[in-house]
Amino acid sequence: MSSNSIHIDPLEKKWIWAVSAIVLLTWVVQLYYAIADGIHPPSNVEVVDSAKLHLTEEFAEANLGVKQEADGSYTVTMVAARYGFYPPLIEVPVNTPVKLRIASFDVLHGLHVPGSNMATMVVPGYVSEVTTAFTKTGDFPMICNEFCGLGHDYMYSKVRVLAKQ
Amino acid sequence: MSMTAQISTASGVSHVDAKVKASGDSLGIWAMRVAFIALVVGLPMGLFQAAERSGLFPWMENTAVYFASTTTHGVLLAFVLTTFFAMGFGYHTMAHSINKKAFFGWIGFWISLVGTLIAAVPMLTGAASVLYTFYPPEMAHPAFYVGATLLVVGSWFWVADMLIGFTQWKRENPGKPVPLVMFATAINALMWGWTSLGVASEVLFQLLPVSLGLMETLDPGLARTLFSWTLHAIVYFWLIPAYIVMYTIMPKAAGGRLFSDEMARVSFVMLFIFSVPIGFHHLYLDPMQAAGWKLLHMFGTFMVAIPTFITGFTVIASMEIAGRLRGGKGLFGWIVALDWKNPVVLAAILSLLMLTAGGWGGVINASYSMDVMVHNTQWVTGHFHLIFGGTTVIMYLAGAYWLWPKITGHALYSQALAVWQLWLYAVGMVILTGPWHALGLAGQPRRVSSTPYDQFPEMVASWSTYELLMIIGGSMIVVSGFMFIFNLCKTASSKVVATEAEAKVEYAQAIHPPIRVPHLLNSFTFWNWAMFAYMIISYGYPILQFAFIGTPGVIPWGY
Amino acid sequence: MKLSLTKSLLASALIFSLGITANAHETKTAAVGPSTNVAWTAEMMRFVAKGDLGNGARLNAEAFCASCHGHAGIAPSPNWPSTAGQRAEYTFKMLKDYKEGKRTGTAHNQLMQLAVMPLSDQDMADLAKYYASFPLPSLPVGVTHDAAKAKDASKMIVRGDGSRFIAPCQSCHGSKGEGAITDTPALAGMPPEYFIKTMQEYRDGIRTNDVFSRMRLIAKELSDAEIEAMAHYYAGMTAK
Repeated sequence: MSSNSIHIDPLEKKWIWAVSAIVLLTWVVQLYYAIADGIHPPSNVEVVDSAKLHLTEEFAEANLGVKQEADGSYTVTMVAARYGFYPPLIEVPVNTPVKLRIASFDVLHGLHVPGSNMATMVVPGYVSEVTTAFTKTGDFPMICNEFCGLGHDYMYSKVRVLAKQ
Repeated sequence: MSMTAQISTASGVSHVDAKVKASGDSLGIWAMRVAFIALVVGLPMGLFQAAERSGLFPWMENTAVYFASTTTHGVLLAFVLTTFFAMGFGYHTMAHSINKKAFFGWIGFWISLVGTLIAAVPMLTGAASVLYTFYPPEMAHPAFYVGATLLVVGSWFWVADMLIGFTQWKRENPGKPVPLVMFATAINALMWGWTSLGVASEVLFQLLPVSLGLMETLDPGLARTLFSWTLHAIVYFWLIPAYIVMYTIMPKAAGGRLFSDEMARVSFVMLFIFSVPIGFHHLYLDPMQAAGWKLLHMFGTFMVAIPTFITGFTVIASMEIAGRLRGGKGLFGWIVALDWKNPVVLAAILSLLMLTAGGWGGVINASYSMDVMVHNTQWVTGHFHLIFGGTTVIMYLAGAYWLWPKITGHALYSQALAVWQLWLYAVGMVILTGPWHALGLAGQPRRVSSTPYDQFPEMVASWSTYELLMIIGGSMIVVSGFMFIFNLCKTASSKVVATEAEAKVEYAQAIHPPIRVPHLLNSFTFWNWAMFAYMIISYGYPILQFAFIGTPGVIPWGY
Repeated sequence: MKLSLTKSLLASALIFSLGITANAHETKTAAVGPSTNVAWTAEMMRFVAKGDLGNGARLNAEAFCASCHGHAGIAPSPNWPSTAGQRAEYTFKMLKDYKEGKRTGTAHNQLMQLAVMPLSDQDMADLAKYYASFPLPSLPVGVTHDAAKAKDASKMIVRGDGSRFIAPCQSCHGSKGEGAITDTPALAGMPPEYFIKTMQEYRDGIRTNDVFSRMRLIAKELSDAEIEAMAHYYAGMTAK
């Protein structure tokens, strides 16, 4: 009596093959979009001293805000600090690559512009970087979505997406 | 090989010693009492939170109370209810399925209980409003971390007990399959041991020292990485007891057979190995881990669909057997023919429906590409309330309805009340979590006590209908929770003796009770090594990197 | 640093005369460099936490801080802040900001700049620790708060105003006005006139040592009535 094989009902066996094929499909699809379209979650491993942000060159108060790069893309430099995103209004053009670089001055924050994939965690000690393009013009909220203290509810800022000139 | 008839042990022993039964029953019912007290205290807090967040009751709005409530609600329902239920169910199962008395027994129970009470003080007084994930650098009062540590340490004694009993029985019964119910209980204990090391490391090496002032700074990135080690498999620690009820209790309660004992084992070992080393889908949007590692974890995360779908197939097939044995005909007639008035059967049906809905939501969360759209929105909170509060906890309730008569010796006070309670709970859960998912897609962030985004009034206004529905759903759940507790209390104090069928502990029999099962489905040695290797691959570098990337330490903050 | 009675009298005469003759009108400080050079690393927190209370008490008396800020940190006049019970990190940062030219432009700021000139970092930490050792201050003698006005402020204090991106004051400054880590100041018992003046200076861009302009952005959105109400709310927090 073999103890190394088990009895699997034929229908269940078909089911397992089908499910495995679906799982394989999910792998392939995600891998495809990662490679072909660069769809990755924000994963920029870069350390920074959160306590000294205002004394660095990149996150100095005078350097925060929106800048246009030579290749036509935009870089937005921001700081998350209880209880706001600074600067509280950023203006970027529609359908243009926007790279957000943001760091926390104090505790854990998160941000999301609803309806877009402009979203990231902001972990003190690390610089978060997320690149995307806004596809609709208008005013949108950038909302803190990780508990950062008793004022967390109030932490949000505004993103204004402008039509291209 | 002996030619005498071999008896399948797959569904359990036929005799339980009196002392073993007494110990298993006592530990079982007391641990579950703690679990269900936590449930009934935690549920109304959830309703309060839904009501406060809606903005419809300005007089009750108080941010400090809200976040103390959220923390307590989360800890009670996600940590206390679950750990104590697993412990109680496990002790009872070990006694009745393999006739083994727990070695440590009450030690673990008391350590966990004392820990819970120690943590309760700062939580209830607003000194630990760090939520049940307690992400640093926000720090709670040190008593919170001490209490949480003790809760986990107590559970480790339970883990040891389950594995000791499992190993002893195997030694005494060489070559025989460990009863499925005990195999699954033991593998759940083993998995909990493996996964709790993550949060234990975070608390021991980072949170406790900083909260006590022994260390000045910590790395929140490392803390979140260690917590992610625990964060996914802990939901399987919660879910597997529910699956155990579905596989080993429900088929018999339904009047049928378990469709496949071996595939159940396959499912459990796959859940074991694909539970711990895949935690990075909780860190998809975190900056301190590179995309490659997140991708690797994604592959493993999706693998868990296979044992989930195997479970769905096997459990539903088992139900079909029962339905057809009860006279159900045609493609769907067996569904109607099932014993919908049996609490265990009803709970399993409702649980599977919620698993289907909640599971698909989980696929979005697990998606390397799509999580960014839902991360930390209310979609995630809706998801885990449906899949945990719904799918998992309803099976705990079913388990209680099954166990209380067996342990107390009294008939269940009211089967009708139990049936109504389960319906109310499930419908309430759907009304609560359906809109909750929609709220997340409509942009509402997580962990807020109010929604003052008043530069965007249309967005905020669009949320109010969902919030109202959530209050209705939450109210239904709270009422059903009280119905549940009432039924159990009345059962315990009842004078009506349980019938023999109600009182006897019998596990489901498989259609083909295996005489032998492959070594891989009857022992943990290989799986331990596999887990070790998989953990090195998936967490080795991601944790090691913190030793040399030079993150400047972060000081502790209040909230 | 020991000062003889004569020297201290001469020094105080000098400072007061400078205060009178200095630019009488308030000027906007130019935004040069970071709003503060103080960074709350663990080392900095530890440095301030280790301040010497005894030396702080001595400095308070001998460097004539007490003449404006009071012997027990309760200001004798509503024009100056009480320092009793103030968070040590905040006091230290203010002293450093004065010394490094991050708080300039008004007569009082110039006075403080002169006052801190002889202080070392250790002296500042000692003074900060000394003031922090007191309970939150009652109002100066003769100064009262208007309870009716205070009531008007409670919505902003407790619920803020999301439409102006303003979090509740208490979410940073504490439900008892006690301040919070790292350098969010205690406001309880602050004389109303000083509170109002401070908020106006933030609003008008005269006071600029708040990192990332957090207070400036808030103050710009507040009306005079709101500022006044808040002033009385905080002033009344330590009233018996």
